[in-house]
Amino acid sequence: MSHDTTTTAAAEEEQTTQVSAPWLTVMNREIGVKLRDRAFVLSTVLTVLGIIGLTAFMFFMGERTTSYTVAATDPQSVTVAEAARDSAEDKTTLEVQSASPEEARELLQNEDIDAAVSRSDNEWVLTARNSMDASLSGMLSDAAKDVTAQQNAADAGTTTEQLTAGSEVQTRTLSDEPDRGVAANVLGFVFAMLFYTAAIIFGMAIANSVLEEKQNRVVEILATAIPVRHILYGKVAGNCLLAYAQIILYGAVGLLGVNLLGRAESIGWILQASGWFIGFFVVGFAAQASIWAVLGSLASRTEDLQSNTGPIMSVLIAALLVGLFAKGTWLTVASYVPLVSSVAMPVRMLTDTVQWWEPWLALGLCAVFGLIMFRVGERVYQRAVFQGGQALTWRKALRLER
Amino acid sequence: MRLKEPGAAYSSVHYSPPRAGGTLEALNLTRRFGDRTVVDEVSFRVEPGQMTGFVGANGAGKTTTMRMIMGVLNQHGGTVLWNGRPIDARARSRFGYMPEERGLYPKQRIADQLGYLGQLHGMERSRALTEAHRLLDRFGLGERAKDRLETLSLGNQQRVQVAAALLHDPVALVLDEPFSGLDPTAVDATVGLLREYMARGVPVLFSSHQLDLIDRLCDALVVLDSGTVRLAGPVEQLRGARPEQYRLVCTADAGWTRGQPGVEVVDLDGNTAIVTPADAEARNQLTRQAADRGMVEFARLRPSLGDLYREAIS
Repeated sequence: MSHDTTTTAAAEEEQTTQVSAPWLTVMNREIGVKLRDRAFVLSTVLTVLGIIGLTAFMFFMGERTTSYTVAATDPQSVTVAEAARDSAEDKTTLEVQSASPEEARELLQNEDIDAAVSRSDNEWVLTARNSMDASLSGMLSDAAKDVTAQQNAADAGTTTEQLTAGSEVQTRTLSDEPDRGVAANVLGFVFAMLFYTAAIIFGMAIANSVLEEKQNRVVEILATAIPVRHILYGKVAGNCLLAYAQIILYGAVGLLGVNLLGRAESIGWILQASGWFIGFFVVGFAAQASIWAVLGSLASRTEDLQSNTGPIMSVLIAALLVGLFAKGTWLTVASYVPLVSSVAMPVRMLTDTVQWWEPWLALGLCAVFGLIMFRVGERVYQRAVFQGGQALTWRKALRLER
Repeated sequence: MRLKEPGAAYSSVHYSPPRAGGTLEALNLTRRFGDRTVVDEVSFRVEPGQMTGFVGANGAGKTTTMRMIMGVLNQHGGTVLWNGRPIDARARSRFGYMPEERGLYPKQRIADQLGYLGQLHGMERSRALTEAHRLLDRFGLGERAKDRLETLSLGNQQRVQVAAALLHDPVALVLDEPFSGLDPTAVDATVGLLREYMARGVPVLFSSHQLDLIDRLCDALVVLDSGTVRLAGPVEQLRGARPEQYRLVCTADAGWTRGQPGVEVVDLDGNTAIVTPADAEARNQLTRQAADRGMVEFARLRPSLGDLYREAIS
């Protein structure tokens, strides 16, 4: 008898064991559902392929060797063509053949050569079949000018060196650092796009998942099993982790590509800014996650999300525009505005010199903003998610009681 | 030799269901929406192992009361007691609940979401899945476990919803309109399943508009009207509390009953009279008189719950 009582008590005890951290269960489901979502997996795979493609393309463009074959119809032309060959840049080769004008013509017709050089009267003539390749024409023209100048100088009893002495132009910049112009712009664009797309993809995922539970009243069942705020924690945590995993995947694929192509040494400065970008991405995304959850809980139908996401979308578009265009004071101000700073500060670090404390301050401001939004969001979510029927506003939801 | 204890039949099963439920009690529950008092000082008890029907017109406050019991809605007054103590989230997490508007994920596979709900209730996922399959089999839905919920007919979705409420061996069941939309076979299957839980001592509170169903199933009744309890208690007691009514049929006009001392005539129609004798003496006199006037039938009328309900809210 007493034995049985103990068993019963033990069974009772087992039954009353509550989940210690229910938000973990919610988080796992959130991640599981997303990973089985075909659209999500497909877009991730496509983006990875895109990154690989882009890296490969840049490598191809960098490594591509161009070779030209040129026919020269007289000794003078041979000199010019050989001068062009000797001064050719690293990845360009130029082969020179001697040929009679008739042969040259035929070779051109057969596309065996790219161009023919000849001297007629007092000028150089470059002949191509249909159109002259611009860089080949440039190389040959430069060579022709040099050769002519040398001859003219020799005829005048001097040398080209003497003629051109003191004409060299040197370029300097006030800043000691190497020019980052184009690369920094491209990277700014990449940062801005990554933040913008991730925020929208995962933000909308949070909002939709909250709305789905609200619309289908699943949340009422969940609320009887676990504290409501744990649903919010789980959703925010799950989608944050997915967003981080995705950005790290993209970053890793990009870095791997760069390393495989042996260009790693030239991108040290990119790495530094990228490291900060990931830091800002982590904080910036977490800071807005609860906002998306609240928007989902305020809506009563999917259509409501289109209107009530307006303000946050404006902020994200502002961040995108800042990443693409902002300069000077605008950029400096933007680099402290929470959310916008996630793009603006890394971009600023690419183009300006910032004090060491500046990114930390911006990061701190964003984190504080995120915490406040999280607290407010928790209050709104817990009230709004049980109020079906009509779309709510933040203000209305805060005045509700559960 | 030892007597079998209640619930001993289940101890051979690989998990041990709770042997006893408890008593669920609403005490002066009150809820307002704005200026409107939707539930006003509502009190009733749901006894262990009993099925209590919760009836009332649309808007009477049934759903609001059930949501307060489940903690989905906060109350403005009163308390919910579980085994005599104010209920807490821990106790509620062991209840089974079926909300009015059905609540499951339309786009998720059935087994997956039942597994998830079980996990949230503190079950191992594997055990939750085993239990989910057992319940789905009971409803003939075992084959559909891998389908998305939205691909099922509404009636079948409803069965899954019932399974979701029963999954975690609940110690009490609060079911809002559990039978609406179910065909008679499904109603019987659900009732059969609920009775198994009641046999373990689980109290069941369910709301319904189908009075005949309530008549058939319920041990106790709570009638709600405009947010207040009009009638509450065990069905037999409620029936017994009503003045006894008899139907008297004679071979000739029964109008003479009007002159009988101590007899109230409720209804008179030709040879048939519905009467309420004040006491046994009055009844005996009535039957003696009737015997002389060609009595064909004298029968006690058992009030239906429909009668009780209509009387309570009129």
